[in-house]
This record gives sequence, structure tokens and C-alpha cells, in this order.
Amino acid sequence: MVSLVRAELRKLLGLPTAWAGLILGSLLAPVVVLLNAGSERRAPVDADTGMMELGVGLIGPMILGVVALSSEYTSTGEDAPGARQLTATLIAAPRRMRLLAGKTAALVLLVAAQAAVTTAATVTLTQVLHGDRVPVPAAGRLAAAVLYWVLTALLAYAIVLITRNGIVPLAFLIVNSTFVSVSYLLTKVTDAAAYLPDIAGAQMFIRTSDFPVELSPAAAGLVMSAWVAAFLAAGALLFQRRDA
Amino acid sequence: MSGGRPARSLVGVITLERVAKTKNRTRILHDVSFAARPGRVTGFLGPNGAGKTSTLRILLGLDRAESGAALVCGRPYRELSHPLRTVGALLDGSGAHRARTARAHLRWMAASNGLPAARADEVLEMVGLSGEARKRAGRYSLGMSRRLGLAAALLGDPEVLVLDEPVNGLDPGGIRWMRDFVRDRASRGHTVLLSSHLMGELAETADDVVVIDRGRVVTQGALAEVVGDHPSLEDAFFALTASGAGDPW
Repeated sequence: MVSLVRAELRKLLGLPTAWAGLILGSLLAPVVVLLNAGSERRAPVDADTGMMELGVGLIGPMILGVVALSSEYTSTGEDAPGARQLTATLIAAPRRMRLLAGKTAALVLLVAAQAAVTTAATVTLTQVLHGDRVPVPAAGRLAAAVLYWVLTALLAYAIVLITRNGIVPLAFLIVNSTFVSVSYLLTKVTDAAAYLPDIAGAQMFIRTSDFPVELSPAAAGLVMSAWVAAFLAAGALLFQRRDA
Repeated sequence: MSGGRPARSLVGVITLERVAKTKNRTRILHDVSFAARPGRVTGFLGPNGAGKTSTLRILLGLDRAESGAALVCGRPYRELSHPLRTVGALLDGSGAHRARTARAHLRWMAASNGLPAARADEVLEMVGLSGEARKRAGRYSLGMSRRLGLAAALLGDPEVLVLDEPVNGLDPGGIRWMRDFVRDRASRGHTVLLSSHLMGELAETADDVVVIDRGRVVTQGALAEVVGDHPSLEDAFFALTASGAGDPW
């Protein structure tokens, strides 16, 4: 199993797109904190300063989650349009659940490391810029932010496990998390939208939300984990059954 | 590896027993049964669309058979824990993501089966791609892709090789190299199962021949037996299959 996780890490880190996700995801949040520091009217300073910006960096784990699987399904060349990396992957590791476990573990390790570094950098930068006006977040809140990143990556990954194509899911996830949040708009229509994974999950570590249903951090974590578990289970079932 | 060694008689043996498969409501394989044995090159011959690739994909655990069994050394491929050490497979394309270098592709494959990273350079050397190791797979020519795919098949120095249309896209030098290569593997006691629609090529390479047409094995045996009284393997093939002269496509 260790060799499989190592192989999957090596495989993921061998892709330029994965590096784009790593670099973009790690830099965005600190950069936004830095830019917002110049204009308090745009971004009032409160207990969520720094933590809120971590949401922008989610593009990183989304890209990593998607590319970890979509890279298996993209055609390897014009010569053989049906040929995909998945063939090589399954020939090397034919036990599908074991392969999926290794792949998932590699993604979790990578995103957790990225999230830990980014969270630490963002919080440190916030302290340097704003000092006492922003309280240092409790360790539990920081851990929750890391968990949110990991769960977001897993959600993106599970969606591609089902769709076997990364472009549409990635476009939707990025738009939803940055430009127009469909999830957020839905909360204006129905209170039930508060239980959507991204809306609920954010409440693990964001304090000042205007969501219709307030969830405790623990409840928020459970709701998002349940979503991810459900998508992963459905994806795994399909992966086990489908012809490669 | 998990599990014990297979029974001595099954080492290196490929067996298919009544493998059937339906795809999009069409039966594409009908009770396909044959064996490939160590020390011999077994040619899997049939026209395009006859079911060669489908059969090999089931053998390699990529697709599922509806019924029947496909076994390598007496076990389904999906039950092998470090399969690259037992079976080397070459299918369509190189299997490498376009953005990855040949070396990076081979290194993750080696790592997944607990093989040393140095094997990547060794197999690149064997297929003559040492100079292109740092090139991205997407920039490889068709012939280079085939060689990279073959390099991956050789990573675990397996006793069984399964090659789907291995000479496709190769130039005459490459074809000759491949022929010598498979003959050499068989002479060392390895099992080689290779599919082809090129009868002349198979007649030069194979010891045993399995002929498949429209999802059914129509004949199998030693090359000389299959050719029988016909002037060539090609004549035998057309006599045995429905792909007659009046129905060329």
C-alpha cells in the first residue's frame, strides 16, 4: 500500500497542472490578504479576516482533486484516441478498491500539506498586517480550515470519479467558489441550501456568516463529510463496476 | 506477494475458458477458450473488430467478462498484487499522460509495484529510448510511443508478455526488432501472447496460432497444424473465416 501511495504521489506531482494547483492555491489567499490590507472599506477587518481569504485559495485543492483523476481519463495522443493513462494505472494496480484507496490517500496527504502551509502563512501574514485587531484563530479553527480544503479536494475528486471528465466539474466548481456562487444564491431561495457541502463546510471555520441556518463547526464538518462520503461511495461503486 | 506460488504447471500459462462478453447489447465474444504456454509465441489472429483487443482487455482485468474465466498463472489478473512482476502488457498507445516525460511515467509505474526507480532507465535502454527519456510523451511519434509502452511492459522483467498489435506503427526496422525480441523472450522460456491482423507477420513469429473471427475462436494449434494443406497462413485464414474475398470490408 505504501508503494502505491508513493506511486500516486509521484504521478500527481509529475503533472504540470497539479503544480499550477499547488502554486495557485498556496499563493492566492496570502496575496488577497495583502491586497485587502490597503483598503479597509473593501474588506472590513474582523475575526474572519485571513480565514475568509482562505476560501479563494480553494481553487488549488479543486484543481488537484480534479486532475488526480481527470489525468487518468484524458486521451494520451492522436495516434490512439481511445488510449488513456488509466490503462497503465490498472495494469500496474488491478485491484480497484486498493488503487482508489492509494490514490485518495495521496491526494489527502498533498492537499493537507498544502492547506497547512497556506493556512499558517495566511494567518501569520494577517497578524503581521493587522496585529491585535484580528484575534489569533484557535488551533481547532485552523484545523477546520485545513479539513475544509481536504474535503473540497475530495469532493472535486469524487465528482470526476463519477463523470470521468474533469473539464465541466472543474469549471463549475471554480465559478461556484469565486465568481457566482450558485450555492450561495440558492440559500436565498431555500433554507435547505444551507446544507450544501460548500456552504455548510465553510461554517467549520467562518464565524460571521449570513446563512439562513447557522451550523456549529462540528455539525458543519459532519454535513460536508457526509456529502463527500456519499459522492465517494457512489464513485467507488461505479469505478469498481465499469469497464476501464 | 500475497498468496502462494501457483502450482508448478501453471507458471507462465495463460488460460481463457469460455469467456463471453456483451457490449451495447451485442455479443462480442462467444465462449472464447485457448491457452498460451511458456517458451512459445502464441499468435492471436483475426480481422479488425474480431474481438482480439476485447479478449486481451478481459485477460488483463481492464474489462469484465460476462461469464467464463481468464487466468494468468492460474489466477485472475485482478488478484495479482504486483502484476508487473508477472505480466508485461502492451495495449493501444503508450499509456503515458502527454504531459509526463517517459522517465517519469516509467518511474511511477515502477514505484507502484515496488520496483527500483533505476529500472526505468534500464528498460528505456532496452527499447532504445535512452536519448528521449526526458521528452514529454505527448511529443513522441507513434513508433516511439509503442516502444515506450513496451518499456513499461518490461519493467518487472515478467515471465508473461501480452502484446496487442505490437508492430502497429513500427517501421520495417522496428518490426524486425520486435520479431527478434519476442522470439528471444520465448527462447528464454517466457510466454508471449501477441495479437495481430497481419498474417505474414504472424507466420514469421508465432509457434502457436489462435484464430478468432466475429467473437469466436475458429481454430487453434501449432502454426503448421493451422496452416495444414493450405499454401500459407493467409490462405488458411480465409478458408477458415467468413471474411472471404467477396466481402473485403
